[in-house]
Amino acid sequence: MAEPIIRVEGLKKSIDTGTHRVEILRGISFEIPEGQFLAIMGPSGSGKSTLLGLLAGLDSPSEGRIFLDGEEITVMSEDALARLRGRKIGFVFQSYHLIPTLTAEENVALPVELAGNGVGARERARELLRQVGLADRLDHYPIQLSGGEQQRVAIARAFIGRPRLLLADEPTGNLDSVTGRQVLELLAELNRTQGTTLVLVTHNMELAARAERRITLWDGRIAEDEGGCPGADSAGGPR
Amino acid sequence: MPGGRFGWRTALRLAWREARSASPRFAFVVLAIAAGVGALTGVRSFSRAFEAALLDQARTMMAGDLLVRSFAAPTAEQEAALAQLEGRGVAIARITETVSMIGAETGEPPVLAAVKAVDPSVYPFYGEVKLEPPAALASALTGEAVVVSEDLLLRVSARVGDSVRLGQAQFRIAAVLRMEPDRLTGSLNVGPRVMISRQGLERAGLLGPASRASRRYLFKLPAAGAGVDEVRRELRAVFPNALVTDFREVHPQLRRGLERATTFLSLVSLLALMIAASGAAMAVRAHIEQRMDTIAILKCLGGRPGQITQIFVLQTLLLGLAGGLLGMPAGLAVQAAFPYFLPQYIPLRPAPAFDPAAALQGLAAGLLTALAFTVPRLALVGGIAPAILFRREMADARRLLRERVRRAGAAWLAGGLTAAGAVLVGAWIAGGGAAQRIRTSLIFVAAFALCLLALRLLAWLLARGLRRLSALLAGTVPAVVRHGIANLFRPGGHAPTVLASLGLGVTFTLSVYLVQHNLLEELARSAPRRLPNVFLINITSDQREGLLDLLRRQEGMEGEPHLIASTRARIRTVNSVPVAELALEGWHRRYRRDQTVVATLEKPPELALVAGAWMSGAGAPAPVCASEEAARILGLKPGSEMEWTAGGVDFRARVACVHRTEGERFGPDFDFVFAPPALAGVPVSYFAGLRMRPEAVAALQRSVWQRYPTITVINAAEVLAIVREVLDQVAQLVRFVAAFAILAGAVVLASSVAGTRVARLREAAILKTLGARRRQVIAVFSVEFLILGAVAGLAGGLLASGFTRLWPVRMLEAPFRFAWEPLLAAAGLTALLAAGVGWAASYRILGHRPLEVLRNE
Repeated sequence: MAEPIIRVEGLKKSIDTGTHRVEILRGISFEIPEGQFLAIMGPSGSGKSTLLGLLAGLDSPSEGRIFLDGEEITVMSEDALARLRGRKIGFVFQSYHLIPTLTAEENVALPVELAGNGVGARERARELLRQVGLADRLDHYPIQLSGGEQQRVAIARAFIGRPRLLLADEPTGNLDSVTGRQVLELLAELNRTQGTTLVLVTHNMELAARAERRITLWDGRIAEDEGGCPGADSAGGPR
Repeated sequence: MPGGRFGWRTALRLAWREARSASPRFAFVVLAIAAGVGALTGVRSFSRAFEAALLDQARTMMAGDLLVRSFAAPTAEQEAALAQLEGRGVAIARITETVSMIGAETGEPPVLAAVKAVDPSVYPFYGEVKLEPPAALASALTGEAVVVSEDLLLRVSARVGDSVRLGQAQFRIAAVLRMEPDRLTGSLNVGPRVMISRQGLERAGLLGPASRASRRYLFKLPAAGAGVDEVRRELRAVFPNALVTDFREVHPQLRRGLERATTFLSLVSLLALMIAASGAAMAVRAHIEQRMDTIAILKCLGGRPGQITQIFVLQTLLLGLAGGLLGMPAGLAVQAAFPYFLPQYIPLRPAPAFDPAAALQGLAAGLLTALAFTVPRLALVGGIAPAILFRREMADARRLLRERVRRAGAAWLAGGLTAAGAVLVGAWIAGGGAAQRIRTSLIFVAAFALCLLALRLLAWLLARGLRRLSALLAGTVPAVVRHGIANLFRPGGHAPTVLASLGLGVTFTLSVYLVQHNLLEELARSAPRRLPNVFLINITSDQREGLLDLLRRQEGMEGEPHLIASTRARIRTVNSVPVAELALEGWHRRYRRDQTVVATLEKPPELALVAGAWMSGAGAPAPVCASEEAARILGLKPGSEMEWTAGGVDFRARVACVHRTEGERFGPDFDFVFAPPALAGVPVSYFAGLRMRPEAVAALQRSVWQRYPTITVINAAEVLAIVREVLDQVAQLVRFVAAFAILAGAVVLASSVAGTRVARLREAAILKTLGARRRQVIAVFSVEFLILGAVAGLAGGLLASGFTRLWPVRMLEAPFRFAWEPLLAAAGLTALLAAGVGWAASYRILGHRPLEVLRNE
């Protein structure tokens, strides 16, 4: 059996706010095979976004281990994690999070420039923007784009590094239904054509229905894993 | 995808775009840096231009190729040597300088003047004496005429053509002396100038056997013949106790003074730069705090902390470069202003010119200082977790103790690195040898850091106190006042940093003022009643009894007048050891030269004996009392025997006692006090120190001058006035440069105000929505600015008082008088400055409609 692109073992995450301790994740374990389209669902405060951040190495767990493409990321240095993100991971946020002082083209090219692969970055950025229907918006700043357009720029940015894993946190949360569907179509298309593993955090049932697997979090644990691979366990260990 | 290097072009592009988005705040930072760079560039440019002018006009300033200066009349051997030099084609100009009283028949009291007797047929060898009306010096300066400086005419209410009395003779004022090329290399430069011929000096009868006068010999070498070095060696051998120098040394005292002044003023400019740099650090930090999302996004996209830090370092470099480039032309304007602060008697007025070396040094210092203050704080970037993008709905997690300790440690480390950077920049611009530069810089940076800490603490205490007071007086203090006070603690407003920056400039400027006035006021006011305030010098033996009689009959005299004999004498042996064989280094070698010694039988009250007993006058050899310092250096004790020579007369003396000067005195300390019989046969003159009622001094001057015109009457108050004038001019120059520090502080304030513009806009919109009228909105912000400035001024004033109390006044053992007036004035003026600057940076706030602002939220 091929190595899963993500393997999570006994993951826990808690925060001390000064007045009390908040346990966000209480011990979860699961695997994500390469190329899968996974939706992570759950009510607000269930730990969905925190889990997404941990999978990308943007935060460190209180307990547990995370393996990305066979490498344990929970013991990596900040520099190593940054390199890993630049090489293997793409992000799409609910609030787009484009750099306000860069144009659409510059925003899209930024990840590869950060990775030191600036040669040809602009051409690829323009191609991606064309693919997402923004060929006439290359020199526009985020403030000059609509929400949907900004999200499409963010998607193009997420794909420029040809990531093996794409993480999207409520990518249609700030969009109207029509635009949201368009964005979802883009993501799904890229997942199909490029074989990118797509992990989507959402509480939108319609969006989740498009995924081939759905994990539902409840109170920091996996309450349901529909369409999941054998081995996932809400109690925190592989079967 | 294989990794590579993060391009500088990408980093620069990001840095530029980010800086441009914060342009209002950063524009002020650039201005602040420009103020510091302008000051530094101006100081260094002027100093280099002045030194170049000194070198260029070296011969003119000396009015000759070589110079010999002595306070003793030439011996026969020396005269013979001079005659021999003249025979070899060396031209010699003799100059005699002394002080004397001069008066006109206008009824005004006589004044103390610096008299210079020259041979106008040869003087000056270089340069030009400018007269008004224009005339050649040789034609104006006859045996019956003098030329005088304009201030003398004013003091005695005389004009060109009038008659004046100098010594025993009358002279006609032939012209006003406008320019004297070698004024700086002269001696006894006290008071207005009177120039006479050598024939005139004879007529005036000013010089007696032991009169205090400086003899200067100027030499002009022939084109072919002995060179400067050879003649200098010969002169050294002929005049072993005199100053012998040539034009290449170009007034060593002036050059040393120039170097010290340049170092001091450069460090004052560095103060302005450091204030600006702390403002830059504050602005960059605020910018980072506002760009946390962008930094988190970059990290999400694979940006490493080092890459992100690179962007902000580049931003700092851009700020420093912009400020430096703007500051360089400003330095030209500063350079042009300097000549206005130079004392009148310094004839050099270098024209302002762009000095690339000084400009580059200013630019580099600006860049380095900005980096030193900003870069260590970029560690903040590393602490920004990308996860903040995901955790908006969660309360901010409290940082673990470990993290808090790490951050505190990082802050101290950042402070240490900043201080180290500042020390290096300071050492670079200071003068002197390597060790001295580092020491000077270390002291400067340590003082800066202490001031900064003290100011922040003071400002914090004052602001907190105000807040408490405002809360206590909630019912009585208007709401706009309370609101204005609360705004001092606005998030992101950086009030402590602004208070410290503004306060530093106030501290330094006020310190200069307080030191100057404390010392001068102390000198003028607190001389104990028993100390003399009038001195008479150049009294000859035959004038002695008559003068005493005149003084006893003079109104306003307090106590009995007492004359002391003095002469110029030189030690020949100490306990039979020739003085030339004694191991004397540096300043101690002065005991090999002529020095002024006195003779009196009555022990002066300020002398305390540390060994032996006061002299009775009896015994052979005659007794002498040595100072504690002279005894230590020469190995003297009661019973030691000394051989002396004075005016061609050799005599012996035995040490009877060793003394120390205690208490205050006005006048020099004398190393050797003889019993009068020791100086029998030695040419002496007398001097007297009198205590008179100040209003009676002018009458005394007139009486003495009318009967004894060759006796010089020195009013201590007049000397003080000259000291005060010189100190005023120096202080003005220092305050001019220090003003750049205040300017930098004001611009830092403007930067902070600009940085909180959005918050102020919102606040103004909400206030208007709630019914506040325009003038009420103005009042809220005005109260904030006024209090900010007043607190900064008061804190700076308190620190300046403390500094003045601790250092210069204590070092000079002068009592310190705390005065509230300067502090209140500083607080008031700084408050007005802060209000002006604050409104200049935020006047547009009032023009926006409330909905326009709130809709954009």
